[in-house]
Amino acid sequence: MAIDWITVSAQIVNFLILVWLLKRFLYQPIIRAMERREQRIGQRLNEAQERESQAEEKAHHYQEMRDEMVRREEEFLTKARAEAEEKKKQLLDEARGEVIERRDRWQQEIQQEKAEFLENLQRETVVIVQSIARNALEELADTSLEERIVHIFLNHLKSLDKEASKALSDSDEPVLITTSGELEPTLRGRLTRAVHEQIAEEIAVNYVHSPELICGVELSHGGRRLSWNLADFSDELNTRIEEAFSPTKPAKDEE
Amino acid sequence: MTISPDSIVFWQWGIFSLNATIVLTWLVMGLLTLFSWLVTRRLSADTELSRWQNLLEVLITGINDQIRQVSHQEPGRYLPFVGTLFLYIAMSNLLNVVPGYMAPTGSLSTTTALAICVFIAVPIYGVAAEGSVNYLKHYVKPSWLMLPFNIIGEISRTIALAVRLYGNIMSGTVIVAILLSLTPYLFPVVMQLLGLLTGMIQAYIFAVLAMVYIASATSVHQHTAQSKS
Repeated sequence: MAIDWITVSAQIVNFLILVWLLKRFLYQPIIRAMERREQRIGQRLNEAQERESQAEEKAHHYQEMRDEMVRREEEFLTKARAEAEEKKKQLLDEARGEVIERRDRWQQEIQQEKAEFLENLQRETVVIVQSIARNALEELADTSLEERIVHIFLNHLKSLDKEASKALSDSDEPVLITTSGELEPTLRGRLTRAVHEQIAEEIAVNYVHSPELICGVELSHGGRRLSWNLADFSDELNTRIEEAFSPTKPAKDEE
Repeated sequence: MTISPDSIVFWQWGIFSLNATIVLTWLVMGLLTLFSWLVTRRLSADTELSRWQNLLEVLITGINDQIRQVSHQEPGRYLPFVGTLFLYIAMSNLLNVVPGYMAPTGSLSTTTALAICVFIAVPIYGVAAEGSVNYLKHYVKPSWLMLPFNIIGEISRTIALAVRLYGNIMSGTVIVAILLSLTPYLFPVVMQLLGLLTGMIQAYIFAVLAMVYIASATSVHQHTAQSKS
């Protein structure tokens, strides 16, 4: 257990050298490396924090944009729905109007066609009736239709009561006799004589031919008229035909 | 039986002799320096680092933490001294498992040299921390009567430091040597393992005590500064 002071001094020197060596090769480099790492980690943490805040900011921004988009979408949809509803209503109104218009036009055309048909039918009927009557009269009674018409008209004229005759004779104007067809001179003479006897002597009698007057004779004088024609029968026929074509007729029948 | 490596002399010139203590110390120094240089020449400041760098960082962080705990001060300026004490003693003791090796710390000369280093380092750190006058006043507190006792305390603790380490390491070596002659197979291995543990504990105790002595010399200033503030 002896102390060798030379060794002691050598060991002190050795120890101091070791302190320097380790400081140079161990402590300083390691501590510096650790400090650098801490610095880098701190820097990275700061960067990460910065990025995180940026990301949060962006996320917030995008969230706001998304909300705005959703709001706009809702607004747009509401507007589009309202517009579509309005358009639908408008189209329906237009279609309804068009349907009504077409129905009216169609009904008008039907009415017109009906009227034309009835008119033609009436005319044809009258012509046929006239022709049948004429032929029948000629074959059965050996007389003409015009003659029979004049005869019936004269009977009417002669059967007038005094008040009616007086009313017809109140004017000095010429008497106007309208016939459906051209009258023979003998028939005209008979009519003229009857007028002179019943209304006034020496009064002028004018004859007019009008196809509108259906198979008859009409006397006009001083705003008064006396007539006999087949128009009454024709009107009756028209009424019957209209009733037959009327859409309410079957319903009435069902009742 | 050779007890101290001082007695193995390789070369002598007058009073200067190159004994095993010095040579083995150089070996330990060389190993420590070489290992440090190999690891620290390619240091990584990134988060990915080599396992050896990791080991050294853990070691140095551990030493720093110990210094901080003992002294309540920043370990920066104490690390080279206290860290080297620990590393040198630990490495010297660890190499005891190598056959033929004798720990330089088993020589009283080495432990005395280390204790003298501590004995000198304490006032140097003390004076650096609070100035020579304040440091010297520390010896006459609480009164002048305490001066001789304080001086005796300083010297006796230094001797205790040296003898404790020497005694532990030397006894370990001697016990293993005795046991080898008595039960040559299994038991010495167990004692060798125990010796490793004792070696590490002694390195820790020596370094921590050195730090405690330094801290007691420097903490006077700290306390005064804190109480003033």
